[in-house]
Amino acid sequence: MKKIKYIAAKEVRHILRDPRSLSIAILMPIIMTLLYGYAINLDIKNIRLAVLDFDHTRESRDLVGRFYHSGYFIRSQSEPDLADPEYVLKAGDASAVLIIPPGLSKAMTTGEDYQIGLSVDGADANTAAATTSYANVIMIQFLKDHLPPGFEPPGVTLSARVLYNPDLKSSHFFVPGLIAVILMMISALLTSITISREKETGTMEQLLTSPIKPRQIIIGKVIPYIFLALLDGVLVLTFGVINFGVPFIGSEAVLFLFGVIYVIAALSLGILISTVANTQQQAMMAAQILTVLPSVMLSGFIFEIKNMPIVLQWISHLVPARYFLLIIRGIMLKGSGIDVLWPQAAALVVITVILLGVATRRFRLKIG
Amino acid sequence: MKKEFHQVIRDRNMLWLIFLAPMIQLLVLGYAINTDVKNIYTAVYDYDRSVLSREYVRSLSAGNYFIVQSSDLPLLDADRGFTENRFNVSLVIPPDFSDRLEQGLGVAAGFIVDGSNANSAAIAMGYAGLITNKFNRDYTGLTMPITMRPRILYNPEQESVNFMVPGIVAVLLLMITSMLTSMAIVREREVGTLEQLMVTPISTPALIVGKTMPFAILGYIEMSVALAVGIIWFGIPFVGSWPLLYFLSFIFLFTTLGVGMFVSTVTKTQQQAMFLAWFFMIFAILTSGFFTPISNMPQSVQYLTYLNPLRYFMVIVRGIMMKGAGLNVLYPQVLALIALGLAIFTFSALRFSKRVK
Repeated sequence: MKKIKYIAAKEVRHILRDPRSLSIAILMPIIMTLLYGYAINLDIKNIRLAVLDFDHTRESRDLVGRFYHSGYFIRSQSEPDLADPEYVLKAGDASAVLIIPPGLSKAMTTGEDYQIGLSVDGADANTAAATTSYANVIMIQFLKDHLPPGFEPPGVTLSARVLYNPDLKSSHFFVPGLIAVILMMISALLTSITISREKETGTMEQLLTSPIKPRQIIIGKVIPYIFLALLDGVLVLTFGVINFGVPFIGSEAVLFLFGVIYVIAALSLGILISTVANTQQQAMMAAQILTVLPSVMLSGFIFEIKNMPIVLQWISHLVPARYFLLIIRGIMLKGSGIDVLWPQAAALVVITVILLGVATRRFRLKIG
Repeated sequence: MKKEFHQVIRDRNMLWLIFLAPMIQLLVLGYAINTDVKNIYTAVYDYDRSVLSREYVRSLSAGNYFIVQSSDLPLLDADRGFTENRFNVSLVIPPDFSDRLEQGLGVAAGFIVDGSNANSAAIAMGYAGLITNKFNRDYTGLTMPITMRPRILYNPEQESVNFMVPGIVAVLLLMITSMLTSMAIVREREVGTLEQLMVTPISTPALIVGKTMPFAILGYIEMSVALAVGIIWFGIPFVGSWPLLYFLSFIFLFTTLGVGMFVSTVTKTQQQAMFLAWFFMIFAILTSGFFTPISNMPQSVQYLTYLNPLRYFMVIVRGIMMKGAGLNVLYPQVLALIALGLAIFTFSALRFSKRVK
């Protein structure tokens, strides 16, 4: 026990003496939260819409006005060419072109067949789908409002209700995930540097010849970083909630508990990386590739896991961030408790045990 | 220049990193980056159980947007289904569904969506709305004389891969050229061979060209391989002109090599160089319109993106590959890239030569 404390204290002194590590540990998470949180906005709005109105009646102007006032569409950067209206899509000046042929106002009174054209840039499939949906909604509301009063349209209407995020702000989905990713990145980065730094400076041999067991060395080294990572977590969480208005419905205590488990898992991954890498440089690179990429791509952070090919879905089971993402989103947005989330926590514990086990074994191999 | 090539090839580790890592990334990203909203698990509470209600449910499950299942959870406990992520949507059909429809009246069905993923939720509601409209037209005989027909241009299969992979190719190019250039130059400084070079009678411009050219060539090779993988493996389209793409990439390379050179002049160790280049890169990727449209970002960030060469190259790559755009359409981006390229490259080259002296 005392030996572990000794190693931990030594590590703390190392950290405090290295201003670069400290600035990575404290400044980087804040900068990243702000940067990613503001830059990445998955809401589909401000879709640039070009309009060609050949009808020029009160009704057609009303329709065009509804599009631009919906909050989803804004004016395109240039007027569409009458001869080739879809050219603006090619040039990227607009994402959709609305073409109102002459006769809208007439068709509304005579009831004859009439069609409005909407050409959509399909390059970004999501934006295209959203564009057609929004346009459809606007269209239907327009028609309903122009029907004779008291006339209730037959057919099915959907009474929609959105849970957990009624204003549909994408930051609610994104920021908790960001916290998970940043925690993973910082933790792995810091610990991967620590052991390889000792290897580089040669103090590793000193440690190994001392009567301290490898297991104690590792645990001692990890402990200060647990506190550091948790401090980071609180920082990022506070920023996320205050700056982006992300709700926090569930229990802070449960999040803290699971957060500790997650941090330990992330730190273990960092330790494992540092036993493999020979130089600090290699450690940093490996840390980036093995933690950032899977945590961002395969954890369900932005992209749905269930849409990925089976192989990638299997691999995502090995990514600690996958489980913590479910945990943090569940607690913050839905108020889920331990009863719902314990499988994720259990998975994290299993992963930690495996990682630390392999790291310890590698450590022993290097000595023996 | 030959020397640089030799050095690069001799460093086996680096070689793996240069070719293997990006390829793996391309494959993984190409498969993982899937922003399509599909396979939404939907729990159905059908209290009508009529032919018509079953028809309605069936129409929702056509196409692979919604995966419909009856829920074993009673309606009052439905939120367990949401918190445990068993389903993300629940549909509630009232008992008078078919009666009202048969009488020619309107009826409301409940549609409850998990809003955590706002994007998917909005799109799911959109799909449901469109499907419901079609159902209304088909089964209740109601036709609105005024209809809107959307037409989707480019990317007819609506695969998000087609949108993402060109972006990934652009990102790979950026990564290779800026990171490796900066690291290589810094490594020489670390090792000390840079001073040796400065003593030799090579002129500074020749030195600069010699240092950056190999990485430009590597970048081209990388890009070609990535494009080949994208087209053959992922089946993405390439509608436009190949020579135009390569020519415009050349201009883009001016900016990235310039950044690489700049980084090498402000860092002392390879580690720092890698870190700084990485930082630039992440920033460039995020604000380039790769993941998220620039028009979504706050105004101040949007202004910043005008300085980001990747922003323009992203439009170019996607425009050429997906829309067959030519110079007549892309000239604003090309002009911007030329301006940025000249500025960055000259600035960095000047700094570099100052260091040399």
